[in-house]
Amino acid sequence: MADQKYETPLLDQLESGEWPSFVKEIKMAAETNQMANSLLGLLEQSYEERKGHWKHGGIVGVMGYGGGVIGRYTDLPEKYPDISHFHTMRVNQPAGWFYTAEALKQICDVWDRYGSGLTNMHGSTGDIILLGTRTENLEPAFNELTKLGFDLGGSGSAVRTPSCCCGMARCEWACYDTMALTYYITMRYQDELHRPAFPYKMKFKMSGCPNDCVASIARADISIIGTWRDEIQINQEEVRNYANNGVDIYKEIVLNCPGKCIEWNGNELKIDDSSCRHCMHCINVMPKALAPGKDRGATILVGSKAPIIEGALLSSVLVPFIKIEEPFDDLEIWELIDNMFDLWCEEGKNRERIGEFIQRVGLGNFIEAVGLPPMPEMIAHPRENPYIFYESFFEEEEE
Amino acid sequence: MSDQVQQRLTDIGPPHYSKFLPPIIKENYGKWKYHEIPRPGVLVHTAESGAKLYSVRAATPRLLSTNKIRMFAQLAEKYSNGYLRFTSRNNIEFLLTDPNNIDPLIEELTALGHVVGGTGNSISNMVHTQGWIHCHSAATDASGIVKAVMDQLIEHYKNMDLPAKIRIALACCLNMCGAVHCSDIAILGVHTRPPQINRELLPKQCEIPSVVASCPTAAIRPSTWDGKPSVEIDEDRCMYCANCYTVCPSLPLNDPDHDGLSIWVGGKVSNARTEPMFSKLAVPYIPNNPPRWPEVVDAVVNIIDVWRKYAHKHERVGEWINRIGWPKFFKLTGIEFRKEHIDDFKHAGLTYKRSVHLTY
Amino acid sequence: MAEKVSVSEVADAMYKMIKDTMGIKKWKATDLQKASIELFGADRCDKQICKDAIKELINSGRAVYTYFGGSYIEIPHDEGAKNI
Repeated sequence: MADQKYETPLLDQLESGEWPSFVKEIKMAAETNQMANSLLGLLEQSYEERKGHWKHGGIVGVMGYGGGVIGRYTDLPEKYPDISHFHTMRVNQPAGWFYTAEALKQICDVWDRYGSGLTNMHGSTGDIILLGTRTENLEPAFNELTKLGFDLGGSGSAVRTPSCCCGMARCEWACYDTMALTYYITMRYQDELHRPAFPYKMKFKMSGCPNDCVASIARADISIIGTWRDEIQINQEEVRNYANNGVDIYKEIVLNCPGKCIEWNGNELKIDDSSCRHCMHCINVMPKALAPGKDRGATILVGSKAPIIEGALLSSVLVPFIKIEEPFDDLEIWELIDNMFDLWCEEGKNRERIGEFIQRVGLGNFIEAVGLPPMPEMIAHPRENPYIFYESFFEEEEE
Repeated sequence: MSDQVQQRLTDIGPPHYSKFLPPIIKENYGKWKYHEIPRPGVLVHTAESGAKLYSVRAATPRLLSTNKIRMFAQLAEKYSNGYLRFTSRNNIEFLLTDPNNIDPLIEELTALGHVVGGTGNSISNMVHTQGWIHCHSAATDASGIVKAVMDQLIEHYKNMDLPAKIRIALACCLNMCGAVHCSDIAILGVHTRPPQINRELLPKQCEIPSVVASCPTAAIRPSTWDGKPSVEIDEDRCMYCANCYTVCPSLPLNDPDHDGLSIWVGGKVSNARTEPMFSKLAVPYIPNNPPRWPEVVDAVVNIIDVWRKYAHKHERVGEWINRIGWPKFFKLTGIEFRKEHIDDFKHAGLTYKRSVHLTY
Repeated sequence: MAEKVSVSEVADAMYKMIKDTMGIKKWKATDLQKASIELFGADRCDKQICKDAIKELINSGRAVYTYFGGSYIEIPHDEGAKNI
């Protein structure tokens, strides 16, 4: 097979400029990989025509799993036979996206052998994305990956690959061990991750503090966000150092505090922790002077998602505070989560995310069914309309 | 065959992260005291023990060749004992223990074409989706727009010269694999026309019941055409999700003349100061204009320039707009306010101005 | 208490449900579970048996998982998008 060289005048324009160029990456891979070379030709055609040339496959995968492979076929197979199949493998990343050079090179070896030599580090859900392979290569690539200790991530109506911030590995604000909990959850739900049995996708994201570096409140069906419930730790000497080095404490800290609970007299910072909203702003601005309290744990929220179908949602509070400590087997949240899964599987519609399900049945009914008491922390404000469903009336009727 | 089945490993999960943590992290796990940013792209974390970890952060295009990953691995072996990580925004971070390695590492990264920065009050890397590289429902490319936008904004990646952090994201259709809906600035690919029905091919390629069931808004119903099974689409109900095209390749939705982009502003996920917010519509439609999408780049740069001129310190885009009000946002940015800006989905009434808190 | 139905029996029943309705209905794991419990009775069949039965169906290759905007369980077949 002669290597065809594609002219790519449009893509070439994306090689200039200082920002790293994906075109250079594809060209680098194309020097030795025919799939990457064909992708250049196809992509140039997309740029000319202003439209994509992919079809969605829904059947290919590895034996026994219902996810981890995204089937793709070009709609121009005669012109680009090398990428007539161009499936993606989602590989479950190590928690916190830490690697050794050795491990990365091993993954590269597998993908040079079986795929296009192109990757995404990483996909939106957090997986290592290995872009572009043929159906017959899926099983051998999977076998080599598992020998290296890597497994596929989730796709379809399943638990998706959980992800987290770097937490205690490199952050003084981590209020619980995000990486340990992420690993635990990933292992606990291996079956639910590989064998789709839910109405639709289910994402877990673990953030160590309210800065929420993995966007768990916007992108996870179950968001576990670190927080604390005692006093912010203050080093007054360091506060004064910040003040002397250009931080306008009144303007930047006091006025920006959502709980209006900080006072500054030019010498000492006072925080009324009973009104602290745990927003992180003062700590973010003066990391050497302030730190989250010592009684740390997490808030559990539920239900966020992107717009399709019923509109975008942010997660809302289910459990205002819970200690997240080893052994994780003993945490009370598993029973709650199992109850949520059971209810959603029983009553949820096809393609209905758990957040949409809660919108449909109402949070009040949802928490009642999963065994949680109503708590004011769960709402922004009580109802404004008087259309109250007085259940006691109906219960009396039944008696 | 039984041999093959026995050798096959499944459900092993990811490697345990402890295999990939450098000794300094293992020793100081959960015992970090504070961090500083001595220069853009460099974080110094100090542990209670006094140990210091130096992280050098550089941009990647997310789409990486194995060749490049090997180069990164070599740099890690040379400068950070082989330890590195990626961030949630597709940056790469080298985890150094020797501060003398910072300068030569930055020099090599820069020479390799990977700009160092993205820390503090800067523009971090854009998160984005697959676009024409790999997606069947993409209304636009993703990587190309990111490249064009970041080429223009690169000084704000390299320098922490902004009032606050700013997070830009791109998704190439409403499915939002990149969940851009809570970004300071979101670029969102939009289809504006329902799928075309290829009535000749449809009965050969697709199962009618599956196609009907695939539509989340029940806009597709079975019909016959020229004696063959077919479907009809209630075009008013279509929201261009491409789920029918997922099931049935005879219902293509991609349309070069009508696909395009929209721009959204003012979202955030962090709880700092104000609660997390959704992004709101700023520009309803910009046509696709590859390879460098100049209209999109101009629109994004304009919003950022106006924001950094008028925002208070620490004010994210959404916080700034909430202070000055939307009329002033449209006035200052010169963006035309149109009917499309007014919500007509569920609970739209809650988005109408229900007070006389107006500025003049 | 009634004797529990065997996993293989449930797997066979599920296979029949899928095969008999090919091209008319797409089955999700939860649909198969609900239908099997209804068929055998809640005293003889439970969620775990159904889960094991699905695993047996898939591991034996008689059925495969598919994804079309949601995950389904089907008899293996060529897909419309495939390039031959």
